[in-house]
Amino acid sequence: MTLRLALFALIASSLVGVIYVITEPMIIESKEDARNKRLYSLAEPLLGKGKIGNPINKVLANDAPVSLINPLPVTPINNGKLQIGAVIPFRALDGYSGTIELLLALDVERRIVGVRAIDYEETPGLGDKIDVQKTDWILQFNGLRYVDLSPTAWAVTKDGGQFDSFTGATMTPRAVVEALAETLAYFETYPEIVGSGK
Amino acid sequence: MKLTTVWLDGLWDRNPGLIQLLGLCPLLAVSNTIDNAIGLGLATLFVLVMSNASISLIRHLVDEAIRLPSFVLVIAALTTSAELLMQAFDYPLYQSLGIFVPLIVTNCLILGRAESLARREPLLISTMDGLAQGLGFFFVLVSLGAIREWVSDIVILAALPPGAFITLGMLVAIHQVIQKILKRFRSNNKSDRKGRRVRTTGDIS
Repeated sequence: MTLRLALFALIASSLVGVIYVITEPMIIESKEDARNKRLYSLAEPLLGKGKIGNPINKVLANDAPVSLINPLPVTPINNGKLQIGAVIPFRALDGYSGTIELLLALDVERRIVGVRAIDYEETPGLGDKIDVQKTDWILQFNGLRYVDLSPTAWAVTKDGGQFDSFTGATMTPRAVVEALAETLAYFETYPEIVGSGK
Repeated sequence: MKLTTVWLDGLWDRNPGLIQLLGLCPLLAVSNTIDNAIGLGLATLFVLVMSNASISLIRHLVDEAIRLPSFVLVIAALTTSAELLMQAFDYPLYQSLGIFVPLIVTNCLILGRAESLARREPLLISTMDGLAQGLGFFFVLVSLGAIREWVSDIVILAALPPGAFITLGMLVAIHQVIQKILKRFRSNNKSDRKGRRVRTTGDIS
């Protein structure tokens, strides 16, 4: 009987093995696809002038905010030899249910081309309004530069800022706005990460 | 065992979601939107049909000692395959279902069907039972998803975990009411066939 069980195990694992070998390249491709689709939809306004380059890990100085991981995987948008913008991952650590992962696209003048919430556990129906699939909330940042607003205006309305907080869920938009402001402020100090020329 | 009984049981009389109340964890957790419900419903259906079929095929080869380990092995292998296939063909769906795809392994509906039916019945009956029970589960999951997605625009609670319990409770209640009416209807029909009886005791209303 033990022998039979071993035989079943062998058959079962070879089935999984065969399917794994067949699907592996497809899975890698669809992961890459999903990533590229996000990058493309985010950096679309820049793509008329440039192309998405390969991500580069940049080591940040010690004064980097907690919203940025270090080293930071920056995806450059290149026009020939010039970098005309970048897509940068950042995160809001203090969402209502843990970390919110976001993507930010900036042009060379550090103007926001787009922001998206990528991965989050926020409450469905409340906090998930940061997702572009649910509401347009996150699109209101498009076109803004950090220097366009006073530092105190980079906050939700409840904290005296100028961005809407959702009824019943203030923590989520607060976390996103604060992380975004921190990130933008950092690139004002280190603009070379975002771009090198027009 | 007749095929009609198998189908009636799976879809209505012994529906896994409404009567047996098996597999509640994914049923409640993934029914917040229709898309998720359809995705997980199909994945569960696939694993259930395949596991019922393969367990029926090996039913003469397993004895008491290795029964459970063999069944779990079969179900785990099939679930992993389903997970890989879903990643390959519909990655966004896989991402939105997250942990609930690998958790199909622990769906008691699947082991339940293996234990109670597939290990005794021939291939055809077992496969059909997997299909019927899987579809029964699928329909409940999708109805839950549809109702919750629709109601959550009006009442936020419907999208939250308590909303899942309340909605499922209502569906179970509706099922019970219909079942009761059907039962009365069936027994009425029966007594009609036996001929009319004159009632001599009790109130006549």
